[in-house]
Amino acid sequence: MRGFDFVAPTTISATLKAAKGRSTKYIAGGTNFLPDLRHQHDGPAKVVIDLMRVSALQGISSSKGQIKLGALATMTDLLTNKTILKEAPILAAMSEKFAGPIIRNRATVAGNIVDGGPAADAVPPLLALRAKVRLASEKGRRTVDLDKFLTGYRQTAIRSNELITAVTFPSPGRNHKWGYYKLARRNAMAITVVGVAVVLKVRRKKVEEAGISLGSVTAAPIRCYEAEKILEGNVVNLELAQKAAEACAAVATPIDDIRASAEYRKLMCEVLPRRLICQALDISQDNE
Amino acid sequence: MATASKSKRTKKSSAPAYVPPKKLPISFTVNGQEVSTEAPAHTTLLYLLRDLGFTEVKNGCEAGDCGACTILLDGLAMNACCALGVQAEGREITTVKGIGTVDNLHPIQNKFIEHGAIQCGFCTPGMIVAAKELLDNNPNPSRQEIKAGIAGNLCRCTGYVKIIDAIEASAEELSSKKGKGK
Repeated sequence: MRGFDFVAPTTISATLKAAKGRSTKYIAGGTNFLPDLRHQHDGPAKVVIDLMRVSALQGISSSKGQIKLGALATMTDLLTNKTILKEAPILAAMSEKFAGPIIRNRATVAGNIVDGGPAADAVPPLLALRAKVRLASEKGRRTVDLDKFLTGYRQTAIRSNELITAVTFPSPGRNHKWGYYKLARRNAMAITVVGVAVVLKVRRKKVEEAGISLGSVTAAPIRCYEAEKILEGNVVNLELAQKAAEACAAVATPIDDIRASAEYRKLMCEVLPRRLICQALDISQDNE
Repeated sequence: MATASKSKRTKKSSAPAYVPPKKLPISFTVNGQEVSTEAPAHTTLLYLLRDLGFTEVKNGCEAGDCGACTILLDGLAMNACCALGVQAEGREITTVKGIGTVDNLHPIQNKFIEHGAIQCGFCTPGMIVAAKELLDNNPNPSRQEIKAGIAGNLCRCTGYVKIIDAIEASAEELSSKKGKGK
């Protein structure tokens, strides 16, 4: 892609105006945009709009039990923001495993989502937290559930020239239990082999609400609704954790690639959710 | 590969006339020095800096994998290959030469020399900038934290042990200096 125009507006309305009627690409941290440009994985665009100066897209905030990640919130923000560390530590745990520190300084959560990759690390924890994506375009604003936003391999429900303005999710509460695991071939700068996120709201030992999701084992990261249902309303023991883990593996449709075989991934889709559920709820696992 | 040969065949007869891309004005500061230039919008910050003579910013992978082009943008470490040059408008950039000069080396640079943490030297500018940010945020890192802090900066000589030693020693020197200053 060569010979495009470039603008760097400071408000959302100016951004949408600049995009109106022109084939547009948005750039923020650039950690996907520029490698795509170099490897020519991108389609043509008449104008590239820099979002980095749009102040309304910045910041992480919390009000009335809802946490809002502005579209420009970076992975480093997730590691340092007090609201996240206190109320949704799973996102900090994810960020710690995301690429390396200099990529984390620029890579945004919204960019990770809209890139649509099956191994997008921010997505499984956000699915488990039941996140929603806020979108804006010239035609208006809308909110889409994250699991409905991801429609396939590198495909999302985003419309032409539409922009993610924020990602929101209800705070899972101070006493929620959680677990995150990124299975990969090295500790940093790795593409995930299997990613698992578990968020459990527990009251009087019963799991009231469960969020379980997998990354890198389907065309786009998915929520495991069956597994969630198995846990919800129950005092979970090893047997139920095992059943839920099997339900996770049942929805995984992994492929063979250079990082791991489909067979291994499928097996890990059972082992890792069981381990995370048991660790989160202090259930002893005799067989491990 | 099939597409490559196809484009070769069609190119000769009907190549469109070359239109040079429009250049945009860009101004920013590098190591405190104001710079004004112009470049097409697709120019990466890495190419822009190197073309301006800041060749201490190394070109490794151009995909955010190797960290050779690590710079500080408004104090935050990033890969220069992962930004468009035009995105740097009005920003402050620090390269390894802004951290310390040949006549007045920064303690991190001194320790890299003392510990033999420089082999071929290609990763060194990025590695030192990454180490600077790490020590700014965490003045007394453990060896594990140093390893995590320079993840994303690759040394193809694999001289990591000496690099980690050097960063560990610079942390000690910097914190002892700070203690004396107080």
